[in-house]
Amino acid sequence: MRLAWVFLGSLGRRRAATLLSFAAIVLGVALGMAVQAVNQAALAEFGRGLRTLAGAADLQVVGPRTGFDEALYARLAARPEVAQASPVLEVRTERIGTTDTLNILGLDLFAVGAVTPALLARPVEIDDRAERESRLTSLAEDSVFLSAAAQTALAVQPGDRLSVYAGSQPLELRVAGDLPGAAEDRRLAVMDIAAVQNHFDRIGRLTRIDLKLVEGLDVQAARAALEPLLPAGVWLEVPQAAEGQASNLSRAYRVNLTLLAAMALITGAFLVFSAQALSVVRRHTELAFLRAIGLARRQLFVWLLAEGALVGLLGAVVGVALGHGLAFGLLELLGGDLGAGFFSGLSPSLRFDPWASGLYVLLGVGAGVAGAWLPARDAADIAPAQALKASDDSALSQRRGHPRLGLALMLMSLPLCALPPIMELPLGGYLAIFGLLAGSILWLPMLASGFARILPLWGPVPVRLAAARLRAAPGMGAVAATGVLASVALVVAMAIMVNSLRDSVDVWLGQILPADLYLRAGRVQSGGVLDEALQARLADVPGVAHVEFTRHDSLRLVPGQPPVALLARPVSSDGRELPLVGSAHAVAEGETAIWISEALHDLQGWRPGDRVQLPLAGSEVSVRVTGIWRDYARQTGSLMLDLADYRRLTGDRSVQDAAIWLTPGADAFSVAEALKSAGGSGALEVTAPGEIRAISLRIFDRTFAVTYVLEAAAVIIGLAGVAASFAALAAARRREFGLLRHLGLTRGQIGGLLALEGSLAAGIGILGGLTVGGAIAWILIEVVNRQSFHWSMDLSVPWLSLLVFAGTLAGLASLAAVLAGRQAMRQDAVLAVREDW
Amino acid sequence: MHRRTCLLALAGLPLPRILAAVEPSAGSNGAETDSKVAFDAVLPGRVLRFPDDEGAHPGFRTEWWYVTGWLKGTEGDPFGFQITFFRVRTGIGEDNPSAFAPRQLLLAHAAIADPRLGRLRHDQRAARTGFERAGYATDRAHVRLDDWSFEQMDDHYVTRVNAEDFAYDLRLAFTGPPMFNGDQGFSRKAPDPYHASYYYSRPQLQVDGQVTLDGRRQAVSGRAWMDHEWSSAYSPEGADGWDWVGLNLDDGGALMAFRMRRPDGTALWASATRRFSDGRTQSLGPEQVEWFPIRRWQSPRTGIEYPIEWDLRIGERRYRLQPLMDDQELDSRRSTGTIYWEGAMRLFEDEREIGRGYLEMTGYGNRIQVG
Amino acid sequence: MLEISDLYRRFNGRSVLEAISLRLEPSEYVAITGESGVGKSTLLNLIAGLDRPDRGRLALDGEDYATLGEDALTRLRRDKLGFVFQAFHILPHLTLRQNVTLPLWLKGQGGRRAERQAESLLDAVGLGDRAESWPRELSGGEMQRVAIARALVHQPRLVLADEPTGNLDPTNAARVLKLLGERIRDSGAMGILVTHSPEAAKSADRVLQLTPEGLHG
Repeated sequence: MRLAWVFLGSLGRRRAATLLSFAAIVLGVALGMAVQAVNQAALAEFGRGLRTLAGAADLQVVGPRTGFDEALYARLAARPEVAQASPVLEVRTERIGTTDTLNILGLDLFAVGAVTPALLARPVEIDDRAERESRLTSLAEDSVFLSAAAQTALAVQPGDRLSVYAGSQPLELRVAGDLPGAAEDRRLAVMDIAAVQNHFDRIGRLTRIDLKLVEGLDVQAARAALEPLLPAGVWLEVPQAAEGQASNLSRAYRVNLTLLAAMALITGAFLVFSAQALSVVRRHTELAFLRAIGLARRQLFVWLLAEGALVGLLGAVVGVALGHGLAFGLLELLGGDLGAGFFSGLSPSLRFDPWASGLYVLLGVGAGVAGAWLPARDAADIAPAQALKASDDSALSQRRGHPRLGLALMLMSLPLCALPPIMELPLGGYLAIFGLLAGSILWLPMLASGFARILPLWGPVPVRLAAARLRAAPGMGAVAATGVLASVALVVAMAIMVNSLRDSVDVWLGQILPADLYLRAGRVQSGGVLDEALQARLADVPGVAHVEFTRHDSLRLVPGQPPVALLARPVSSDGRELPLVGSAHAVAEGETAIWISEALHDLQGWRPGDRVQLPLAGSEVSVRVTGIWRDYARQTGSLMLDLADYRRLTGDRSVQDAAIWLTPGADAFSVAEALKSAGGSGALEVTAPGEIRAISLRIFDRTFAVTYVLEAAAVIIGLAGVAASFAALAAARRREFGLLRHLGLTRGQIGGLLALEGSLAAGIGILGGLTVGGAIAWILIEVVNRQSFHWSMDLSVPWLSLLVFAGTLAGLASLAAVLAGRQAMRQDAVLAVREDW
Repeated sequence: MHRRTCLLALAGLPLPRILAAVEPSAGSNGAETDSKVAFDAVLPGRVLRFPDDEGAHPGFRTEWWYVTGWLKGTEGDPFGFQITFFRVRTGIGEDNPSAFAPRQLLLAHAAIADPRLGRLRHDQRAARTGFERAGYATDRAHVRLDDWSFEQMDDHYVTRVNAEDFAYDLRLAFTGPPMFNGDQGFSRKAPDPYHASYYYSRPQLQVDGQVTLDGRRQAVSGRAWMDHEWSSAYSPEGADGWDWVGLNLDDGGALMAFRMRRPDGTALWASATRRFSDGRTQSLGPEQVEWFPIRRWQSPRTGIEYPIEWDLRIGERRYRLQPLMDDQELDSRRSTGTIYWEGAMRLFEDEREIGRGYLEMTGYGNRIQVG
Repeated sequence: MLEISDLYRRFNGRSVLEAISLRLEPSEYVAITGESGVGKSTLLNLIAGLDRPDRGRLALDGEDYATLGEDALTRLRRDKLGFVFQAFHILPHLTLRQNVTLPLWLKGQGGRRAERQAESLLDAVGLGDRAESWPRELSGGEMQRVAIARALVHQPRLVLADEPTGNLDPTNAARVLKLLGERIRDSGAMGILVTHSPEAAKSADRVLQLTPEGLHG
């Protein structure tokens, strides 16, 4: 332990390099921690909400979004397995005059108590009401009970009125009380189930039944007994399944973010590597001396690792703290899903998770140790006698990297890309990215010397010197370039991926929104519908040339999986108006064609030409998969079928949306107004595709806000890497600079030399980073996104941005090199030539 | 008369206000209160017909079937039991086509007074009618709520209860015709005849069946009492609580008495019905019924004092009422805060036990939180 | 001609050099000896223009250092001075030829001619056949010979050698000293050999003793 100061103290002597490594690890850990903490908070909140909703239910009956026949409730309630059945009809509505949406649970208060007591309504004494009136408040048809969170969100109190849309009609409700059991939970609204059925035109429909089984009955046994009673598309689920579905839904997104943070951490590790590598070189003789006087090889190795570990530990501890702060800020700014829209309506609160925090501390330490490993091994291999005589950087000069290992790692990435997702995570893709990154870094010295070979050996002295140095000692430049390469690769990959996705989404929006105007019954899809009379009125509005209606529903194809969206709208037999992926499969006469999204293709394994069963209107219907279309909107899968087919199969003639084509010369604005007034109550919303597009892209940008944060962090880390490497290099080369000054180089020339070397190293890093980043982008697009989100996209490289970015980074790197080398240009450094040793 | 108690029992469900709503608020005028819904009115002179009037009367605001009695198993001491089914017309959702429309609610409350336990066991159920989960018949007595039921079959009732810590399945055989309370079943509750109900009793029911206590099932037999009462206008203004008793006499006779109690403890209204062993029935008015508390018991849980031994003057005769056990307080503060006393009683005349039945006392605690 | 008169230099209040005067005629090669810490290196730094005296005059070929700015002093070193160090300071990432050509690069002479010049100097120090070698392949004595070639390649007016044999064994030291003397004399430059070794000092034409009191003949 006495040796601690000899080694760990060296961190203090090279404060700049240590600080930068520290900062990189802080950033990596903080980002990872923040993503983790935010997601944990959101999931915990979401899960808590679900548990409140599920209460003591042992099983839940779930079905399509439009629900199922209530007769099932009577059948299930009468079963001996069922102790209590609580029927639920959930509708989504919207407050008139605002964009506030509200999920209303229609419940039977008499059944709720035993199953989901947290949803019991508590009427609040309201002064201006007759006592008699208030007594039956819980059942009154205009009573709505709001959780405290909902009251806050809607800024209402018991006694206030609340106007919402019921279908396309306004409905006046009275806030009759609260939900004491769900005070903290998300925005819950509870009404009597009869009132909801009546007001929202859902007579005879339920969306869920919560079942409490008789004491001691095995859930699986009950399930087996009850399942045969269920119509097609209606399933029994254990309540935890919904939580799992939500967790799965956001998992891919979260894992993506976390792994990006991990890549930042890896960049940090490279930074530690370069700092340690240079420090070891600088202390070559010192270490040789220690070995000479009896320090064992192993001790030296461990102590040098400890240096990295200490930096990692400090960085990780600060990073965990910073991460929690960052998480707090992100929660405030973007919400629990970091802007991705998975957990709307939640207000999660941050909790300190000692296990996750501990893990991130370990990761930080690991990054430090990993970074210190190679330099420590090199140092341990020092032959003391030789090293005591040799000059400074001769050891490093000769390093040519490990090109074979690098090549092997990069080649290994190829088969990894072909791996299917593991536990629905694109682990192969991530490993391939890591392999590419690590392999390319091992290849860097080769790249550097190759690069130097094409550099001219003429021109001004600094150019010659820089070129000669790079040519003779590529390892030196490579060390400085590692951090740059890692961060540039990360940024480039993300930039290409996000740009590709954004462009693809943009194009897709254009394809999916071909009409002049879009109309829907309220902003909330499941809330309002357009009945047949209204559909006819809309088609008759002057200026309307053509109307296509869309019916939205959701189907549950497999229990335990999130529902799949169903869109019924006019589709041509070859699907030419759809954003198709691949070609369509012809459908025989009399067959019902469906078009599935890529997610459905991936998740269900359906292929064009397959004959599959769809649970429509409570029975199984055989349909033919005709083609695959691209759907960026619904991650859990969607399928489309012709509206006429849908109506024929279900008898359901209502729709929610309409796409409207105008007659030539018609004024879009006045037609929109006419359409709105056709609905009467102001419940219809008409938008132009441009607006939808703008809103969609705004949401998109919000979703990727976090990745921008990560990119910024990567750039900062990369620059820090350049600065740290050059600070260390410059310090190590004080004697060299001193000699050059003796020989007559001006300070300016040495500055130029340093800047040039900085640009060269950064240039190599940038060049490598661009190449590797491009490859990583390909993996992100073709493997990671495909497997995480089940969508494909067209590659689109933001050349200009990348060019500007690369140029700026090279410039900044030279600046960083000059700043770092300024110390070396000081007068006393010149004298270092004759320092005794 | 146990109406209010029953309401309190209902209040014991997690729905205090719904239950309380069974009862028109003080000062209101019953059927006329609700502008949208016209409740049937209780008018003098109606002749009750059987078995139709054993069934439900959904046009009225409230109705209940109330069974109390003493049972004896194969071993051990006698114990009391009670089961009440309430029907409530809410006036809500009359036009709603939904099968869930809460036009009629059913609520049930059951208890066992077991001296070995030293206090009551009780449980409750509530539901809106419909979906075969809860319902009633209008042509005979038949109400059911999940697996609780009370049903008339020819000359007997059958009732089943599956509560949390007890259960019973009893057959209650008629031993005579129904006993009409008040004026041929028109039972006034206050000086104002507007506050009244249709009310008949079936005393001296011969009970056979099974009771499950602590998981042990045993055959039981005994005697019980059934009240069936319906109304749209109830609680008179100025009454703070009431005392009711229904007793089967050993000689085959029966005695029902109640009084509506003012806050100062005096009677606002009182009434009694006495059936003699020869089947003759006598209806007695307020001046002929007097209640005298003899012994009080203080609840260790609530601190409330109840008069649990009474002297009763019915006409010219005096009786003494003694409880099966002191603690028959029903404490549902945990859910609603309502507290009352309802328990098995022995009837003495001249120090001799002449009958057994049930006593119900409400309004002795701090303000009853009924709404 | 190097003229030094009445030179003073203090560091942190401590006088290191006091009243130093020295005059070197063209082609004169002197050795300066003295105890450690007596100020030999300080004197060399002053002569190299890397440090400035507190008092006194320094002039090379009539150019007064006091009149020269930082850049001019750099040019002076580039054009008129040659250096040989105890630790050789051969740049490890340049070949021998490149190392020797380096001073010519600095003077803006980068072509084939410069390389031939460097080669002839390498020839002169006996390493003509190793022009493409890397410094790490050399022994200490060879490195110092490269350093001598580098110090003379641009035909400086004054060569400053600071303990050039400090890192060498006696045999090599003798050879290097001999070579250094020969080369300096051949080039017609002035030379100052700073050493603490009386043996080494003998290789110069004249030996001066640096003591706290001054520089004595």
